[in-house]
Amino acid sequence: MEQDIELLLDNCINEMRKGKSIDECLAKYSQSATGGAGQLRPLLQLVQQLEILPKPEPAPEAISGTLINIGHHIAQRSMTSEKLTAAEKLQKKSSIFNIIRRPKIAWAFSAAFLFLVVLFSAATISANSVPGDILYPLKLATEKVKFLLTFNSEKKAELRLTFSDKRLQEMIAIFQQSGKLDTTLLKEMLDEAKLALEENKTPIDTASVFAAKLSHVNAYQKDVLEKIRPQVNLSSRKIVDEAINMCDMRGRWMRRMMNEENEISPDSSAPDSTGSPQQKPRSKQKSNRWQWGPGCDWMR
Amino acid sequence: MKLKSAKKDLDDEQLRQLLERARVNDSKAIGILCSHLYSKIYRFIYYRVNAVEDAEDLTSEVCFRVIKSIQNQKGSFYAWIFRIASNLINDHYRRQSVRSNVEPAGDLIEEMIDKGNKQNELLEQKELRQSLKKLTDEQQEVVVLKFIEGYETDEIADMLGKSSGAIRAIQFRALAALRNNFITKEVD
Repeated sequence: MEQDIELLLDNCINEMRKGKSIDECLAKYSQSATGGAGQLRPLLQLVQQLEILPKPEPAPEAISGTLINIGHHIAQRSMTSEKLTAAEKLQKKSSIFNIIRRPKIAWAFSAAFLFLVVLFSAATISANSVPGDILYPLKLATEKVKFLLTFNSEKKAELRLTFSDKRLQEMIAIFQQSGKLDTTLLKEMLDEAKLALEENKTPIDTASVFAAKLSHVNAYQKDVLEKIRPQVNLSSRKIVDEAINMCDMRGRWMRRMMNEENEISPDSSAPDSTGSPQQKPRSKQKSNRWQWGPGCDWMR
Repeated sequence: MKLKSAKKDLDDEQLRQLLERARVNDSKAIGILCSHLYSKIYRFIYYRVNAVEDAEDLTSEVCFRVIKSIQNQKGSFYAWIFRIASNLINDHYRRQSVRSNVEPAGDLIEEMIDKGNKQNELLEQKELRQSLKKLTDEQQEVVVLKFIEGYETDEIADMLGKSSGAIRAIQFRALAALRNNFITKEVD
């Protein structure tokens, strides 16, 4: 019963909001209200009085004051969040520096840096060393590292030529100092030149440039050997002669290979009398042509 | 006499968009939201604390708390803000220890006279406001939201986290209590 009258009161208030009078509302719900109509009327009259109570509006100054304060608060909040972001970044940065700032790691970094500086300086100084010098093994090690770190076959071949030239310079330096011929260096010089050609796997079109360079180096080595030959002792002279012969043979092979290349190149695609191409594919031929022939290597 | 419904100057979609922007610190959206809320919260608080300055201070505090915590707000927005306001009013009374029984603020009476209200009507309204103060907190909340702010029963139920039946019951008891207080005063 009580629930009914609460619902009826609410319904009547809703009806009054739609514009109906108290009497109309009570008439509409008279059947269900039964004895409650007498109870509802004073409450509905009270509702009417409540509805006309003044609706206080806040002072505009109070609203604007609050908005200003909130604005300050938002500005502070965004500044704080910006500061926090900056602090986080700084923390991240400093965390990297903190690692370096640790004494052990700092020592390790310093030692590694010092080691690299010393190594680089020693490698630079060792460039002019000759066999017998303290730094000569370092020079050879540097050359090996340099060679291992070179992956391009053309550059590897160029390095071989450089090493060959270095051995020649070292051999001359020792010969000038002591008047003795270092046959080990002589052999290394010729071996490096031999390996240079084998190392070279450049395309056939550019291979002739390298061949010309190698041919020039070979001729220079032969020339140097011929010049020092009269000054070396008899035991070494035999080896020098053998080396000069080898250079001579290599020179001939080089000329022959270059001539063959010149002969093949102009009409490589021309068919022969049977109508089939004269030449095999160039990549296959290259491996056969660009190789040293007999007499270009040490006999023993 | 036609009763007034609550003015809805922001529809649900507009409110949702404003809240989304306010949550990412959009100062313009926060400004619009605060302006929209301020009057509603102010009236709700004013009828409970009966002093303009207190009402302004508490309304500002509600706005601050709303903006501070808006990023974490979930569920019904109005229920949330009126709950904040209600808690602040309770804290306010707790601080004062005694519930104030002061007369309605002078500026409000002057405002009513300015609007040309008759003297006897004015006195009736004064008595009604005094009777309103004698209701329980819950009843005052329902009466203010329903008859001052003009919300529907279902909306009040959502705001106060109660069922519609419970709100109807509170409404009925509040009106009955007000009527009794009124009659007692008239007899006196």
